[in-house]
Amino acid sequence: MTDNNRREFIKKTSATSAALTIAAAATRNVHAAEDNTIRVGLVGCGGRGTGAAKQSLSVNNGPVKMVALADVFENKLKSTHASLTTDSKLKDKVDIPEERQFVGFDAYKKVMDALEPGDIVILATPAAFRWVHYTYAIERGLNVFMEKPVTIDAPTSARFLEINKDALAKNLKVGVGLMCRHCKARQELHDRIKNGEIGDITMMRAYRMTGPTATAAVEPNTGDLSELQFQIKNFHGFLWLSGGAVSDFLIHNIDESCWMKDAWPVKAIACGGRHYRDGCVDQNFDTYSIEYTFEDGAKLFVDGRTVPGCKREFASFAHGTKGSAIISTASHTPAKSRMFNTQVMDDQNEIWAYPQPEPNPYQVEWDDLIAAIREDKQYNEVERGVMASAVTSMGRMAAHTGQEITLDEFMKHDHEFAPNVADLTLDSEAPLKANEDGKYSIPMPGLVKKREYL
Amino acid sequence: MIRSTLLFALGIVSPCLLCTTAVPAEAPAGASAGNVEPIDVPDAVATNEKEMKPYAEKIEHTEQTIQMVPIPGGEFLMGSPESEADRNEDEGPQRNVKVDPFWMGKCEITWEQYDIWNESVDQRMRRMFAKGKTPRDIAVDGVSKPTEPYTDMSFGMGREDYPAICMTQHAARMYCEWLSAKTGRYYRLPTEAEWEYACRAGTKTAYSFGDDADQLDDYGWYYDNSDDTYQRVGQKKPNPWGLHDMHGNVSEWVLDQYTPYDSIKETLNPLVVPKTLYPRIVRGGGWDDDPEVLRSAARKASEEDWKQQDPQDPKSIWYHTDALSVGFRVVRPLNVPSAEQREAKWDKTEPEQKDPEE
Repeated sequence: MTDNNRREFIKKTSATSAALTIAAAATRNVHAAEDNTIRVGLVGCGGRGTGAAKQSLSVNNGPVKMVALADVFENKLKSTHASLTTDSKLKDKVDIPEERQFVGFDAYKKVMDALEPGDIVILATPAAFRWVHYTYAIERGLNVFMEKPVTIDAPTSARFLEINKDALAKNLKVGVGLMCRHCKARQELHDRIKNGEIGDITMMRAYRMTGPTATAAVEPNTGDLSELQFQIKNFHGFLWLSGGAVSDFLIHNIDESCWMKDAWPVKAIACGGRHYRDGCVDQNFDTYSIEYTFEDGAKLFVDGRTVPGCKREFASFAHGTKGSAIISTASHTPAKSRMFNTQVMDDQNEIWAYPQPEPNPYQVEWDDLIAAIREDKQYNEVERGVMASAVTSMGRMAAHTGQEITLDEFMKHDHEFAPNVADLTLDSEAPLKANEDGKYSIPMPGLVKKREYL
Repeated sequence: MIRSTLLFALGIVSPCLLCTTAVPAEAPAGASAGNVEPIDVPDAVATNEKEMKPYAEKIEHTEQTIQMVPIPGGEFLMGSPESEADRNEDEGPQRNVKVDPFWMGKCEITWEQYDIWNESVDQRMRRMFAKGKTPRDIAVDGVSKPTEPYTDMSFGMGREDYPAICMTQHAARMYCEWLSAKTGRYYRLPTEAEWEYACRAGTKTAYSFGDDADQLDDYGWYYDNSDDTYQRVGQKKPNPWGLHDMHGNVSEWVLDQYTPYDSIKETLNPLVVPKTLYPRIVRGGGWDDDPEVLRSAARKASEEDWKQQDPQDPKSIWYHTDALSVGFRVVRPLNVPSAEQREAKWDKTEPEQKDPEE
């Protein structure tokens, strides 16, 4: 119902119009003063969701208001509410009374019901729930900001692309939290690579070797929480929820590398294993080495490691026929992107470096999304978000099965990790059950080959 | 909660609600920080200043040691004279301050030393070698440690014997609490007065080697010679008391709140107990600072911007994601304070730092 999109409507009518009535929002009188206020709802009150909410309120091109929150855990919701309402810079933009604070697995619907077409919903729960929430957001005609990864297995990747057709038809503005794509330094590097300044890319390397990270390693449930709650609290540890350490941690460096190549790889092989995991019950390996191959034979090597005490590297590099480039230097920001005229990346051979300081891409991605909404520009990052998620999952699957896998094979794969995710309630059984020892099924490369775990 | 109760019981953390035999004030150093038997280390025990020797504190189950250097007690003029070049207003008025003897880390705490706590390396090694827990292992169980970060806090600059960085003052304090439990000897951050006293090492000049900043290359890492990164600890010449990198490499946390000197009345072992999260103090300047920031008297205040790129909210109590040239070193006082004294002064800090409820 694009014609009913509030912002389009407003663009076509003058701002002095005092009697706006909007079909989709017939129950609410729109006051002239609120005509261009974008209202924001947050689904998933974790650390990143709250951070994203604050970035949305920090965009400076017109009024933005935070109006509703959802989470499955009340304490998470309360801490987000406290954080928003005590932030001296932003608290005037927060209006979330008790009746717009929703707890439970259906809370996402209530948040979106409290919004109107043209508003924004932030989807920041673990990735398993993303397609469910996105489906409803499209139905409600909402603009969306969703965190990465957007999918964690093949069936939901294919489904997501299908779902997105409706969003495109409705001209909804949809951002995906691969903020590196919004980084000014990387954007300029990308343009320069496209102009042939380091020749054709033949090889890239991406690393996130950073020691123990977030909840990738999970100690046994002490019994205070139900199995489902326990897994959600420790979502990086369970493949059905997050895609584990590969999907959640490696996606940015994989995505920024593929972007520099302007291509998705066509196949992957990988190694991986776990070593110091005594007492842990999660499904992750603690080391992953993935080799991706592109259509033209170029390679992307990806190393992920969450082992303590080892060499650290959190960066991406590109090697071309005429030179090389640092895509990102350490962590995600600042990227400090640079180019060199040989394969030796040192000061003598440097031919370009992005000047410092760089704008924070976590903020820029929000500036871009809200600008697109206000100016009604076509804006939908879902396809690349899904492809980045799928390519990352393909690498994870190659490691977990010990097999070579092509992107075509991957996209047709039928193992959906949590087919009942849309029907989960607080009392549901967890999609993944522990064995008698309290341990969860782990990947067994070479023994279990057709799916990532039994 | 259970874990900290256990620690109270062991007398490792104050308040010592449950222990029956608190260590009396002025107990000989080398006596335990609590009721846990200290690990046996040559030359670590001294009953008076004359007996203090350099020693290498041992971190059980690992191959790591922390080199400690004795610092004699004494009196000095804290702050800088108005005649000092590039001086800041907050370095005065100068005042006479007395400090009791202590040992101080010869170098900044390195990543390798930090990660033993940060990533439980000692406990992992203990388990790999199938060794049981010592009373000290039981004691460290109760000390909180940083939540797992999302990124490499060394930002690709190197780990091993490079200085640990990007921790909040709270994290540095907790490391000291852990080290105390781990060794059975009481370690903490230096006070601002102790830090400057040790840095000056009896000198009254801008730097511990004189007033000539041109000599800085021999003594410290700073903006012009660091190649945009921190450097391995202990490579430059030490100061007269054998301490390395007091000038430069990384700024170092001290215990105090940042306050004007004329508001401080205490002259014996002064400490301004923090009551607000910002500003607190780091000393000595770092690899990205200019020479004047490395002066013995120069003070730098912490600020909220040090957490700017933390994309999580609430921002972590453990990390200053943007403080790439902030670290710390530890001290061990000769006279071990009682649990009551620690609670009232040495370990006291507000507001309480708690991770969000999980």
